[in-house]
Amino acid sequence: MSEKIVEQTFEALFVLEDLREILRKTAPFHNLTEEQKEEVEAILGKVRKALNEIEEEIK
Amino acid sequence: MSKSAKLEWRAREESFINLEPLQRGGVLPAESRKIALSYIDGYSTCDHCLGTLHILKKPPICDFLTEVADFLRMNKAILTHGCREAKFAIMHAITKPGQAIVMDENKHYTSYVAAERAGLKIYEVPSTGYPEFKVQPEEYVNTIEKVKKETGDLPALVLLTHVDWTYGNLVDAEKVGKICKEYNVPFLLNTAYSSGRMPIDGKEMLADFVTCSGHKSWAAGAGVVGILAINDEWTDKVFKPSQRYKVKPVEILGCSARGSSALVLMTSFPYVKERVKHWDEEVEKARWFSSQMESLGDVKQLGDKPHNHDLMRFETPVLDRIAQKHKRRGYFLYEELLKRKIVGVKAGKTKSFDLSTYGLTKEQLIYVIDSFRDIINKLS
Repeated sequence: MSEKIVEQTFEALFVLEDLREILRKTAPFHNLTEEQKEEVEAILGKVRKALNEIEEEIK
Repeated sequence: MSKSAKLEWRAREESFINLEPLQRGGVLPAESRKIALSYIDGYSTCDHCLGTLHILKKPPICDFLTEVADFLRMNKAILTHGCREAKFAIMHAITKPGQAIVMDENKHYTSYVAAERAGLKIYEVPSTGYPEFKVQPEEYVNTIEKVKKETGDLPALVLLTHVDWTYGNLVDAEKVGKICKEYNVPFLLNTAYSSGRMPIDGKEMLADFVTCSGHKSWAAGAGVVGILAINDEWTDKVFKPSQRYKVKPVEILGCSARGSSALVLMTSFPYVKERVKHWDEEVEKARWFSSQMESLGDVKQLGDKPHNHDLMRFETPVLDRIAQKHKRRGYFLYEELLKRKIVGVKAGKTKSFDLSTYGLTKEQLIYVIDSFRDIINKLS
């Protein structure tokens, strides 16, 4: 159980760094293109999945 | 906000356009920030210690250093805590107190301080002065001759700042290298603002030593880190081991960057190798930016023209006139830029200031130009 929690914690942190990268590339106003919006959606999906898996593990 | 340390968290790259020349080349790619997160604790490089940092297999620091030496076209490389530590290590290893060192007038202050710490007598190669402040390679001959005349000996070391920190002037290192070879004096090339941004060929430049700044130009952070690259003939002196601790190089006190900064440098390396291939695009962008700034009127870019680097100094009488009458005096510019989410121009500066365009998009730079225009139109 604990191995998976560690793995998914890093997964969530790392994927959020990808989101941070988009914020940097579009600073300061973050007017995202359609492609960037899709990337953000995909990132959020991955974060949610990682958090859900952590939640499942601790039940 | 961290409750324990009461420090503000930093989102300068996410929330602003950051023009700070010290920082642009040290902005990390996402993969390097990820590795920094996992290696952030203490001596994180040392989980599988083999006795000293530069021979480590896991993480593969040894292989990385071989690749770095090849990338710089030098024979060997080692990690240091920064470029200044690399310069001092060389000075300490190959000179004796009281000997002479020759360096350019545009040098970084740390070159001077390192030489002072090594007890060296410092001779400076003058620049051409205002407005270009160029360091002309042939002037090295005059300064070396001056050392010979005054001390009866050749300098123990010659140092060139490849790109200086004030004007962003690029000097022809190969010409200085040739002069050093003719006089048979060792040549230290300080590439704090060049290697990691633009291609460097230590062999072609006839450099005996190349020093690099990870956090200035190799997209490395999570602490400070530098590189000291040398040619084989200097191994015994510069990388000499301790007499008692045989695997520990004396000049870097055994092991240098023993944590996340080393791992970040390694992770950023593929990104750095790729980005130097696009250096021409960065120069083109800088030149475009310079011309746009000058088109605002009563703005002058100092240093090389056309410019050959992203680091630039602008003389701005138009902004200084506003400062004379503004209630916030010289601070108005910083505050007006901040309102427009632009940072990196030092607070209080209006007569002249430095900035860098490195790694910023054309759209971001158009916005910066438009912001300067807006401030001038509003307050002139």
